[in-house]
Amino acid sequence: MNDSIAVRIDNLSKVYGSGHTAVTALRGAHLEIHRGELVSVLGPSGSGKTTLLTAIAGIVEPTAGRVVISGTVLYDDGWKVRDMRRFRREHLGFIFQSHNLVSFLTALENVVLALDINGVRGSRAATIARDLLDYLDVGERAGHLPEQLSGGEQQRVAIARALANSPAVILADEPTAALDTERGKSVMALFRRIAREKGSAVLCVTHDHRMTEGFDRTFYVKDGQVTSGA
Amino acid sequence: MNLAIRDIKYGLGRFLLTSVGVGLLLTIVLSMSGIYRGLITEALVLIRDVKADLWVVQRDTRGPFAEPSRLPEDVRYRIAIVPGVVEASPFVLYSIQRERKGKPLRMTVVGYDIATGTGGPTRIVAGRGLAQKRYEMVADEKLGLTLGERIPLGLHEYAVVGLTRGMVGSGGDPVAFFSLADAQEIQFVKDNWAVRNARERALTAYERALPTMPTLPQTLARQFADNPDLHLVNAILVRLDPLAEPGQVAATIERWGHFTVFTSEQQADLMLMGNVDRARRQLGLFRGLLVIIATVIIALIVYTMTLDKLKAIALLKLIGAPNRTIVGLILQQAMALGLIAYGIAVSLGELTFDKWPRLVLVQAEDRLLLLAVVVVVCVLASALGIRRALRVEAGAALTG
Repeated sequence: MNDSIAVRIDNLSKVYGSGHTAVTALRGAHLEIHRGELVSVLGPSGSGKTTLLTAIAGIVEPTAGRVVISGTVLYDDGWKVRDMRRFRREHLGFIFQSHNLVSFLTALENVVLALDINGVRGSRAATIARDLLDYLDVGERAGHLPEQLSGGEQQRVAIARALANSPAVILADEPTAALDTERGKSVMALFRRIAREKGSAVLCVTHDHRMTEGFDRTFYVKDGQVTSGA
Repeated sequence: MNLAIRDIKYGLGRFLLTSVGVGLLLTIVLSMSGIYRGLITEALVLIRDVKADLWVVQRDTRGPFAEPSRLPEDVRYRIAIVPGVVEASPFVLYSIQRERKGKPLRMTVVGYDIATGTGGPTRIVAGRGLAQKRYEMVADEKLGLTLGERIPLGLHEYAVVGLTRGMVGSGGDPVAFFSLADAQEIQFVKDNWAVRNARERALTAYERALPTMPTLPQTLARQFADNPDLHLVNAILVRLDPLAEPGQVAATIERWGHFTVFTSEQQADLMLMGNVDRARRQLGLFRGLLVIIATVIIALIVYTMTLDKLKAIALLKLIGAPNRTIVGLILQQAMALGLIAYGIAVSLGELTFDKWPRLVLVQAEDRLLLLAVVVVVCVLASALGIRRALRVEAGAALTG
């Protein structure tokens, strides 16, 4: 397998339910994302975007097909929940529309949390977290709780958390939907910078048409089928 | 990183308020142990303090603490000459309720022979013991009487010459000690109105029944109404020579046919198995129920606290936190809640239990037992929250 490929999906299908109530969310999807690449996945509601994201995230096991991340085949026989969680904390970073910061932790602690879970603790974790917050221009807000931060600041802290363990892949679910255009563009610029400087593959699932520019490639999902745009 | 402590600090006010609530509940649980132990201590305090080797009571009765037991006072002289007996002393015990300053004054009256002192007050904290044969009393401080105060009982007034602490009857009423003669008089002698009334009633009855015997009714009425037998006691307390065999002495006295003899241990057992047993079982049942209620309440609190954090738990799962991190978060919070509540319960108990109306005797072992119960309860209670948390899907973090 080519080492530059961060994510590869082969013939991925997912069917929810069975019989009359069966719903096919993905139909033989193919997709490849390289390290340092910033891609978007566009599609209307119910098209299968979230199923694609959760399949890559190791949350929803596909009915058929393969998901390969950094050379590791997910959902292999014998993989247990804890194996999937370990894989997620070591190889994946997550960014959400609603930021999803832990409300009772400060900005710094939210980033340290991701490191702590991955076994990086103490002053080393604090240093990494502080550097990341500085890198994302929210270092001065390190001691503040999420409720004391603006939406844009919260999203930057969430990005810092996603970057904490230097993941191969960052999965972003509607990362700009809750932000105004200016802040949304700022976040997209950050993603581009992260992809270039950190070498992570960044996959943004979105239907925010304000933010379709600047991606290296765009995939479209419609009726469970994934097509490549550019 | 300790998530439990950070979450507690975030909602400190609510957490502390909840802890105070659970703490109050645990105070009641702790008090049940204390009341139970206090009940037993109070029930046995007279038996223990009297230090009699044998209790001689009316035949086929269970002694003065269990039921009315009456025997002639002069039996003491017969018992005193039984081989092995060092001393035989009469003992009177009963409860009365009078009124003082518009409030009920309930006490356990103990009458004893002040010449031997057996059965008398042992825990005097102010004043002195009885020094003269009539019209003095020693009262427990819980009666609220003061030294030198004169209390009217029956036909006479009695001066409080001493105060005791912790002397109560089996029902928890504070004890007042009187000389044997005074105790008998308070119990048996009627006041003047009662005497006149009884005399009239008797006269009427006899006049109706015996119209042909004009002088007999007056004679009999005076005899019955005016002269009750004062020389009855409830038990004879026996002290034995250290070398005497209690069973042998008891057998000798019982052979006379009119008396039953118990050792102090038997009296204590009768007290615990008889008078105290129902209350003891009731308290045990109540304590068990309270522990169950505390478990349910803590479980609901922990469960609610978990529900508040479902989103954070889903996020933790999504970013790869192992189950032990999530279980630790819930379990540590439950333990913190339980231990803070326990601390409040113990502190509150220390501060207030001695002000409760009846003795609440909490010992170190009760506190340790409660601590163990709290730990177990918290583990059980958190199980519901942990079960809920472990069922949360990581994908829930994505659904906004």
